[in-house]
Amino acid sequence: MTQFSKGLRVQLRVMQALMIRELVTRFGRENIGFLWIMVEPLLFAGLVGLVWTFLRGQEKQGIAVVAFVVSGYIPLTFLRHSFGRSAKIFQTNGALLYHRQVKILDFIFVRVSIEAIGAMMAYIFAGVVLFFFDMFPMPYDVTSLVSGWLIYVLFVVSVCTVLAPLSEMSEVVEKLVPISVYVSIPFSGVFNMAAWLPPNVREALMWSPLVTGMELMRFGLFGDLVTPYYDIPKAIGITLACLVIGLTLSRRIRRTLSLS
Amino acid sequence: MITCHDLHKEYRTGHITKSVLNGVDFTINPNDRIGLLGRNGAGKSTLIRLIGGVEMPTSGKVVRKMSCSWPLGFTGGFQGSLTGYDNARFIARIYDKPYSEMRVFVEEFTELGIQLHMPVKQYSSGMRARLAFALSLAIEFQCYLIDEVIMVGDMNFRKKCERAFFEVRKDRALLLASHSVKTVKRFCNRAIVLDDGIATMYEDVDTGISVYEAL
Repeated sequence: MTQFSKGLRVQLRVMQALMIRELVTRFGRENIGFLWIMVEPLLFAGLVGLVWTFLRGQEKQGIAVVAFVVSGYIPLTFLRHSFGRSAKIFQTNGALLYHRQVKILDFIFVRVSIEAIGAMMAYIFAGVVLFFFDMFPMPYDVTSLVSGWLIYVLFVVSVCTVLAPLSEMSEVVEKLVPISVYVSIPFSGVFNMAAWLPPNVREALMWSPLVTGMELMRFGLFGDLVTPYYDIPKAIGITLACLVIGLTLSRRIRRTLSLS
Repeated sequence: MITCHDLHKEYRTGHITKSVLNGVDFTINPNDRIGLLGRNGAGKSTLIRLIGGVEMPTSGKVVRKMSCSWPLGFTGGFQGSLTGYDNARFIARIYDKPYSEMRVFVEEFTELGIQLHMPVKQYSSGMRARLAFALSLAIEFQCYLIDEVIMVGDMNFRKKCERAFFEVRKDRALLLASHSVKTVKRFCNRAIVLDDGIATMYEDVDTGISVYEAL
């Protein structure tokens, strides 16, 4: 047990160091520095929200369109970045594996954490600004909002642990990683609530932890304006299954990883 | 003490498999100064990477009972886009050493001055070697793994390394991969000759060197 807690302390230290390193290399120290992290999700969600407003009017089934788009696109941007950055992540960070306490999974956890922090900052920033323009509601139930986000993040982490080793094993998978993002869009609950769909489609979508996460987040935000559909045990079960596969693959790939 | 048990290492590219090490067994005792000799491609760097834990053996294992540096060579261990100082800060953090001491030591040992504010990818190999040695010496490992790199340094740097390893840190173990017979003869008390994936240990350095020269 002491062995374990010692190891855990080392890993936390390593992850913290990696996180600082990552922020410095990616955003530098000049101008707004690491605040850049939230610029892209903000711009993306903002522009899409604007387009939707013009196309479909300001409200859809009683929900402000901009708020709906922002609450869907920011998590989606997080997913897209996390998946995209998982490709060949072990090889690109190989130089750091010279230090034995740095483990390959640290790279994934650090990348996803940074993306998650950026997404949360963007979400809060967008929410506060839009709130003053009366285009964003006060969250109805923060617990649902946060637990939905947690489910969403955990599932993304677990998929990344599968994508990363697979991208090292085959060139084909590496090239397919960007496509995985587009494939996941229909299963991510970004564009609509499950309640707006026919029952059989809705039933099928419950297999996606992303939908469960997103529905919970939307309920936490809009409250009774929406009827959420979610299946938390199923979401957690799938995430865990994915994680087991990912960890096994990562362990196997580490044995054959060759670094120069 | 560091022990290698029956190490095998194969590299696979497509359907070509190359086996580099075919059962390497030896022990590094505290105080050992081992010269690692072998022709180009004999597997010296591979062996050092396995002992350092950078890569994993195909079979067999490495048991480390003393702290062991990362392989000090031309590559690895650094983040090229970060400055010398940032790298020092990163290494201080992951090895849990106070950065202030690290910084002073690195400035003094490398003599790189203002260039420590430049990204490491702009360094020459000699400058990189200086930084790598400074960082690993600041951490005070019990065993140092050195892959060729002493050779790239200038006179002043070589003198510094000699002092650091053979006067100040006499009690540490060293595994030194080198093509310089002179260096090995001068500093090592044992020699390993790596040939055909098999490592042979010679307790007498001169015997080891003559075997290596006959390869």
